[in-house]
Amino acid sequence: MSTITIIWIALPFFLGFIIYLLPKLDKYLSLCVAFATVGYALQLFVEPSLTLKLLDNFGVILTVDQLSGYFILTNGLVTAAVILYCWQSHKTAFFYTQLIILHGSVNAAFVCADLISLYVALEVSGIAAFLLIAYPRTDRSIWVGLRYLFVSNVAMLFYLVGAVLVYQADHSFSFAGLGVAPPEALALIFLGLLTKGGIFVSGLWLPLTHSESETPVSAMMSGIVVKAGVYPLVRCALMVAEVDPIVRIFGVGTALLGVFYAVFEKDTKRMLAFHTVSQLGFILAAPVVGGFYALTHGLVKAALFLIAGSLPSRSFKELQHQAIALPIWIALVIASFSISGFPLLSGFGAKVLTAKNLLPWQAIAMNVAALGTAISFAKFIFLPRGGKADVRYGFWAAIILLIGGLFLANIAYYEVYTVENIIKPLATIGIGWLAYLLIFQHIVIKLPRVLEQFEHLIGVMSLILILLFWKGFAWLGI
Amino acid sequence: MLEACVFATIFCGFFGIILKKNLVMKIISMDVMSTGAIAYYVLIASRNGLFTPIVGNVKNGAYADPVPQAVILTAIVIGFSIQALMLVGVMKLARDNPTLESHEIEKNNMP
Repeated sequence: MSTITIIWIALPFFLGFIIYLLPKLDKYLSLCVAFATVGYALQLFVEPSLTLKLLDNFGVILTVDQLSGYFILTNGLVTAAVILYCWQSHKTAFFYTQLIILHGSVNAAFVCADLISLYVALEVSGIAAFLLIAYPRTDRSIWVGLRYLFVSNVAMLFYLVGAVLVYQADHSFSFAGLGVAPPEALALIFLGLLTKGGIFVSGLWLPLTHSESETPVSAMMSGIVVKAGVYPLVRCALMVAEVDPIVRIFGVGTALLGVFYAVFEKDTKRMLAFHTVSQLGFILAAPVVGGFYALTHGLVKAALFLIAGSLPSRSFKELQHQAIALPIWIALVIASFSISGFPLLSGFGAKVLTAKNLLPWQAIAMNVAALGTAISFAKFIFLPRGGKADVRYGFWAAIILLIGGLFLANIAYYEVYTVENIIKPLATIGIGWLAYLLIFQHIVIKLPRVLEQFEHLIGVMSLILILLFWKGFAWLGI
Repeated sequence: MLEACVFATIFCGFFGIILKKNLVMKIISMDVMSTGAIAYYVLIASRNGLFTPIVGNVKNGAYADPVPQAVILTAIVIGFSIQALMLVGVMKLARDNPTLESHEIEKNNMP
């Protein structure tokens, strides 16, 4: 088992460079890697968990269990779908190389359990994501990529300082050392991970980055790359009981903030990006079942981004006067239903499980966020249909893989199908649709984008740092 | 005292990133900040002593902790490569925005 793990971690990087040597085989090799990851993840659900200590007690620690299994499965499926989507487009071998290296680095982030290998994995994923965003080489894409790299690198520098403080207290870099670390170390590390994962106010770099990159790249970014920042937070919350309340508070805050922006947004891709922010909050709100929620969200958000890329326009106003093709509309509606928590799709199971694991003070806020989800996705469901579209069959292969995954993942938690569990999401969706048709369809509010400017993004980091240190950790008395 | 200097370096870099208008200056500020972080690792490694832990004739010296130093090498390499990548991006941007003021670039490229 341990040999397989090591081979599997090294495989994407090895094949990634092979692709560059044999550019003819690019799609096939990258698809192989994605399916190898899916296979490995499925194996994790039957095997017991595994902890690998490479070198000595201060060395690299890898932990593989069911939680990372969910994240790894998401990674494999989303990457496979993106490769299928690009199958007939004329992407060069460079694109596939970067895609696979991104895939590998995110995989590495999902298995490591010590601060420094996490740092390396996150930075490699940042570089690979930058290259993918800047791949069209227009001014805008370079600026968006540069902004992303800047924000993530500054956050990771704070993280590094936090990591050495943990080392000073515990003489190891493992996550378990967070329990004995001083509060400033926790604040610095959390700042880095929150920013990298796109959570709460420090995650406002995310909407512009995700909406301005190309369709397959946005699917990749929203589907998994942000989860590389979220996974360590979930893992820490499970390993160290003291940080659990902080993670939950940020989860609730993020869910509300993201959904608030998403309800008023008039641009499809920006709406989806804001919605990613809100869904990350749902993952953090109940860390115990965060893995399953991440799987559901990764599949559905990748599908939604791929579909939004093949709609005739990006503005909801234009889409309301322009019929879209029926098959695309059906795919769009299935994905929207899943994310609002409709039964028979895995979004339902994930929502119910999350609701079961919430603490009492979280419940009201999370229900409001779920209502906001239903309102914002009503925008997609009530679009006119009947037009024509010519899409390539690679698109359908990708969508079938993702939506089929949603149906299959639904079977895993069949025990949540009780009458009261089913009534609640249906009521939420119903109220959401009514609210949309009666109120939100007609109002036009343009929210200011001041907070998304570059300097403000960096400045907000210092505010979050002060908040974390002064309020959060001091109040908890860690 | 040394610790205060290290933190001052980190904060100088951080405020440079916010306050400087020019993109190249921002990147240099980021480098200053990462230098501060690296220096902090070296400082923590040398808490117990300054000797390099290499097998030799000297016995029971006050050795420096090799782990943080080894770890920070990775961060140096990553920081260096990110900086190179960013400078290439800035070079491309400089063709159309010769002043490289981040406000101007942002105004032109916000949807």
